[in-house]
Amino acid sequence: MRGLNQREKRTMKFGVACAVAIIGFAIVTNHLGKWKAARSTTTEIVKTLDAINVKETERARLMSIVPVFEMPKKEEVQKFLFRDKFNEQLKKAGIKSEPLQILPASASKSPVAGYGLLRLKCSAKCRFGQALDLLADLKDNPYLAGIEEFKMECDQKKRQDVKLDITVSTFVKK
Amino acid sequence: MSNNTTEIGTVKSAIAIAKDGSRLKAVKLRKQNGLFEVLWTKSSEAGDLDWKAFELECSLAAESTEREKSSDGKMVVAGFDSAGVVFYRVDFPTVSEKEIAAMIKLQAESRLPLPAEQMQIAWRADQAQNGKVPVTIAAARKEQLLKFVENVRGFVPEKILLDCEAIVKTWRTFFSKDGRDAVVVSMTTKNTQVCLAQNGKLSNAVVLDTGTEDLSQATQDTLILRDPLLTDQTETIDRFVQDIRSVLELFGYAGPTDLPVFVLSDDSEAHEVVVSSLKSAGLNVRAAFPQIEKLDARTRLHPADIYEYRVPIGLALTAIDGDKDRLNIFEQLYLSPSEAKSKSRLDSTKAAFAVAAVMLVLLVIVAYAVDVAGTGAIEKRLEDAGLGSAIKQLTERQKLIKSVASQRPDLLDLLNQIHTSLLFSANLDFQTDLDKGTIPEELMQQFEENKAPLSQRATVSVEQAGTKWLITNRLKKYSIRKEGSRLKIYDTTANAGITLDKLDFKMGRPVSITAQTRNAEEMYKFQKSLLAIKGITDVKIQNPDMDKKTKKLKFTMNFHYKSFTQKKKGTSR
Repeated sequence: MRGLNQREKRTMKFGVACAVAIIGFAIVTNHLGKWKAARSTTTEIVKTLDAINVKETERARLMSIVPVFEMPKKEEVQKFLFRDKFNEQLKKAGIKSEPLQILPASASKSPVAGYGLLRLKCSAKCRFGQALDLLADLKDNPYLAGIEEFKMECDQKKRQDVKLDITVSTFVKK
Repeated sequence: MSNNTTEIGTVKSAIAIAKDGSRLKAVKLRKQNGLFEVLWTKSSEAGDLDWKAFELECSLAAESTEREKSSDGKMVVAGFDSAGVVFYRVDFPTVSEKEIAAMIKLQAESRLPLPAEQMQIAWRADQAQNGKVPVTIAAARKEQLLKFVENVRGFVPEKILLDCEAIVKTWRTFFSKDGRDAVVVSMTTKNTQVCLAQNGKLSNAVVLDTGTEDLSQATQDTLILRDPLLTDQTETIDRFVQDIRSVLELFGYAGPTDLPVFVLSDDSEAHEVVVSSLKSAGLNVRAAFPQIEKLDARTRLHPADIYEYRVPIGLALTAIDGDKDRLNIFEQLYLSPSEAKSKSRLDSTKAAFAVAAVMLVLLVIVAYAVDVAGTGAIEKRLEDAGLGSAIKQLTERQKLIKSVASQRPDLLDLLNQIHTSLLFSANLDFQTDLDKGTIPEELMQQFEENKAPLSQRATVSVEQAGTKWLITNRLKKYSIRKEGSRLKIYDTTANAGITLDKLDFKMGRPVSITAQTRNAEEMYKFQKSLLAIKGITDVKIQNPDMDKKTKKLKFTMNFHYKSFTQKKKGTSR
């Protein structure tokens, strides 16, 4: 059998090198994809853990602003829970309000994706101290998201009497 | 060492050159399938010890050597005359090689005839016996060794070996069938090397300045005289025998001993006389003749040639067998071409780049493995612990709480701050005194420092024990509140002249306050006090108007409160 000449040997070597390069490229590309996916997963996990594991001072700050919090429920449930609790707080402060007005949830106004913001409007006439008591109690409402609007107008004759308009909000699950 | 592997087995060859008496001798030896073949032998003229000339004669100039090496797979070795080497045989306790090396250094310093820095030593530890490790130490003058290196550098030898080690090697290979412990006597025209072999390795050697020339003369004298009384020994032979006895004593064999003494011989008359003289002196002596069984049949070499070239043959055998535990006295003085090449390879930029590339690839592989395996493991552990959904809920809850915190203004605090003015803050030390209804001296000093001195008639009332107090000083009222880890002192009458009519707060819009006061000065003072409150910025007075009926100045003030009154992106309110 005739042996390979130099040219044939060179061709063979080149062919083998190309084959190795192609296989190597395929393997490396595959592993690079896996690596990229693994790294993005790691980043997500780290972000998630960072979100949960807040620093002690930040946790204390959050606790002073939001001492109680209930996870939002669907609008049909949440609106009643929120209304009842707010009504209870009005009563506790001794404020007799006009009927509470529920403004339907709006997703566009919510800062958190997947949740809408439902608002509750209240108008009442009360004493200045009662309004302050209500403000002091509000943070104990576990459904309260924020105070959207607060308008207080003193009576020109009886300075301690005030006309109060307050709009509070709650998150509802979409 | 280079090897040529062929279809008939591994072929190794070596060229060895050594000084033997008054000549330089060279052989080329080849080993194939356990058989040796002497390819050629060369010898310089008697008295001609010019290494450089001999290199040329043997075609061993550096260029040709390199060329030959690449094609032939052979190496070149040089033999160093052991006449200038002194040997010591010392027993050490069974300790590590590092400790032996340290002990040898100490021993060498005490035993060597010259300062340690002028000497070069090499050592070899044999097998431990009875808790002791016998060590052979060879020492020579550094200057002498360097001179030799200069002599042989021309043909770039792969190794430089001691010729006495070569003699023991040749004796074991070609002169003895199973010898391991013996004294080997190798005679040249000018001198005699006496080597002690233990376990087949050189353990001591001495060079006597009596050679075959001296002994041939003595032999001839004895033959001419033919006198039975005088044929026993001539003076030279006598002295030689005495020298051999002294050497044996030096080797540690003082009394009668069974240790065989082999005189390497070419069956010459001088050797016969030496052997018989030593025998008569009561030594276990015998002549050792070259055996050619181990030589390839194609080698047309006479046993006398093996004797003649015993030193270079021994050198070549040592090189071919690759004896690692030889006494390498040139270790620190001469770098062989292959060692230099491997060293230069390691030192080269290419090698550095190659190592860096390999490390980089390893780094990538390790990073990949850690990332892929680590992430997988974390996910699996979270899943196994059933925390996947819990973490999701926790994250969502945390996100919502943060969002709530960002849109829940503390309007009560804002109202308090509008009505009052923060005077200063103090530590909690005064709580107990305040609860008792007394104003501590230190607190009074702090009031004074803050330009609000209290009179001796100032009183304190407890509004809420431990948290809220009220100090009344004439017309002024100061509220003290515990806020966090501090006591905050507010001047509740700072804005006393201001009557608040209306407060309007709406997310994303400036806070608006409508109030009335007696004059513009109080209004400006109120504006200043608002600006002093942390979180309140951009306080603007709008529509100031004096009511003619009440004679009060009505005004509206707009300001921003923290981030609540700033327009937020993405949300419309």
